[in-house]
Amino acid sequence: MFKMLNPRRFYHAVGRKKFLEFLLLAAFILFFYGPMLNMLMLAFANEYTAPAVLPQQWGFKWWSYVFSQNSLVSSIVQSFIVAIVTTAVSMVLCIPAAYSIARFKYRGRKIFMLSFLLTNAFPKLGIYTSIAVLFYRYGLMGTYAGVVIIHMINSMMFMVWLPASAFRSVHRQQEEAARDVGAGPVRTFFKITLPMAMPGIAVATLYTFLGSMEEAQGTLLVGMAKVQTMPVAMYGIVLDSSAVQIGAVFAILLIIPSALMIFLMRKYIGPEAISGGFKMK
Amino acid sequence: MSKNLKRNLVAYGLVLPAFLVVMLTVAYPIVLAVIQSFQDSKTGEFTLDNYTYFFTEPAQLKNILYTLYVCLMTVAIAIVVAYLLALYLRFVRSKIAKTIGTLYLVPRFVPAMCAVYAMITIIRDSGLINRIGLVFGHDVKLGLMYHANGMIMMNLWFNIPFAALMITAGLGAIPDSIIEGARDVGASKFKVFTSMILPLSIKDVVVAATFVFMSNVGSFTTPYLMGGSAPKMLGIALFDQFNKYLAYNRSAALSVIMFLICSVSAGVYIYTNLKENEWEK
Repeated sequence: MFKMLNPRRFYHAVGRKKFLEFLLLAAFILFFYGPMLNMLMLAFANEYTAPAVLPQQWGFKWWSYVFSQNSLVSSIVQSFIVAIVTTAVSMVLCIPAAYSIARFKYRGRKIFMLSFLLTNAFPKLGIYTSIAVLFYRYGLMGTYAGVVIIHMINSMMFMVWLPASAFRSVHRQQEEAARDVGAGPVRTFFKITLPMAMPGIAVATLYTFLGSMEEAQGTLLVGMAKVQTMPVAMYGIVLDSSAVQIGAVFAILLIIPSALMIFLMRKYIGPEAISGGFKMK
Repeated sequence: MSKNLKRNLVAYGLVLPAFLVVMLTVAYPIVLAVIQSFQDSKTGEFTLDNYTYFFTEPAQLKNILYTLYVCLMTVAIAIVVAYLLALYLRFVRSKIAKTIGTLYLVPRFVPAMCAVYAMITIIRDSGLINRIGLVFGHDVKLGLMYHANGMIMMNLWFNIPFAALMITAGLGAIPDSIIEGARDVGASKFKVFTSMILPLSIKDVVVAATFVFMSNVGSFTTPYLMGGSAPKMLGIALFDQFNKYLAYNRSAALSVIMFLICSVSAGVYIYTNLKENEWEK
């Protein structure tokens, strides 16, 4: 086995093509996963002084530190509140719009559809500062409502386009068959159309939730330190903190929701679903 | 009530709430910001000073050029690497290709801030690479922190998987049969690439490039945590104008400037997308 660790032996054992593939894999993992793995290691390093590559002492010291800080714990709670409200509101608003765009033919449909692109056509921070000027006027700065609005406009494109293409791919004949045997339009929608479009809707919902969990700059601007979600707290940690481990622990806490959601919805997430949101198909 | 009218009412009723929210929270603030960018901050009279400030002040002009440099470098490197990666994933069928095909989906779900922080723990002066260097007796100073190259590297981390994903989706749509057909009649691998694969996938390349470019012009988190203080990326410059100097008219003007930089590529994106929108007709 250890013979394989000699690159030259390895090269001759597997052949040139395989060898290059292994090199590619190694470079890929080092660049894309190396930083994350290093951070994972740091999160469990009680003691990590300068020249050593591996921590001198392992343990959960910094985890208990993070959970003993009230401001950090409250930021976790606030993040979840904002994310859940954002997801619920944008589902209620966007899924009917998606259905309308996918299933009805009427004047101005294209304009409606393109209007949801608007948030992506203008620089995000430019939109945030423009909204903030209005928020100052209506007293929405530093409120949950303001932060939810900021998070929602981020997700509207996904929340309309992905479900719209999902509704679109449900065959009309199936709906007609349900209507033929006597189901009303509402019942047809909930029993036939919605379940079949569920994968697309699920992915869009996932994006909205995760997008809200990790939205940072808008919350930093509009939250004005009164609404402090996890990413906003993380800015503070990265810029001020003396111990590198605090940031590592907190970053891992921030990744957990994503990891969990991806695991739960892995059935629905494929390359197509992920890139699908960026095309108007 | 005629059936047609009823259908139309339902269709508009479903789409309008979401549309109005977008108009109110995105379009209206943008319009106001554009107006504001032409107004004097004290008198409210029409002026171009807010714009000329960013093109005459040397520090501000440097910020613009710096942002363009970082974005264009990111686009160039990310697209080339992503295209090669996508070709590999499309045409090589091996265990390693399959592994990479799964692993490259993950970075998209890692919150931006966590990824940036993880990279910082590697490249900063007391980071992992420096420590590994010390083991071998070299004091490696990468100098990537607070430098354009560090930001470009971070942008690549975000954008290579994303661009590869979009391009792979395009390459996946090319049937094996037409490539085999061309090979059967004697086309060389190079010929197949230049006359079939490249033209068939160029649209996805353009879309990916515009998205990469646009997402980096207004980027905030990466420069906020990794960038130097001068020159600054435009996202940071905008944040400072708004939050630090409370110069709302100037920040509105800078938003518009960023929008104009993006709109060149946004135009390309919309044009490329609309061309193949068969079902919308």
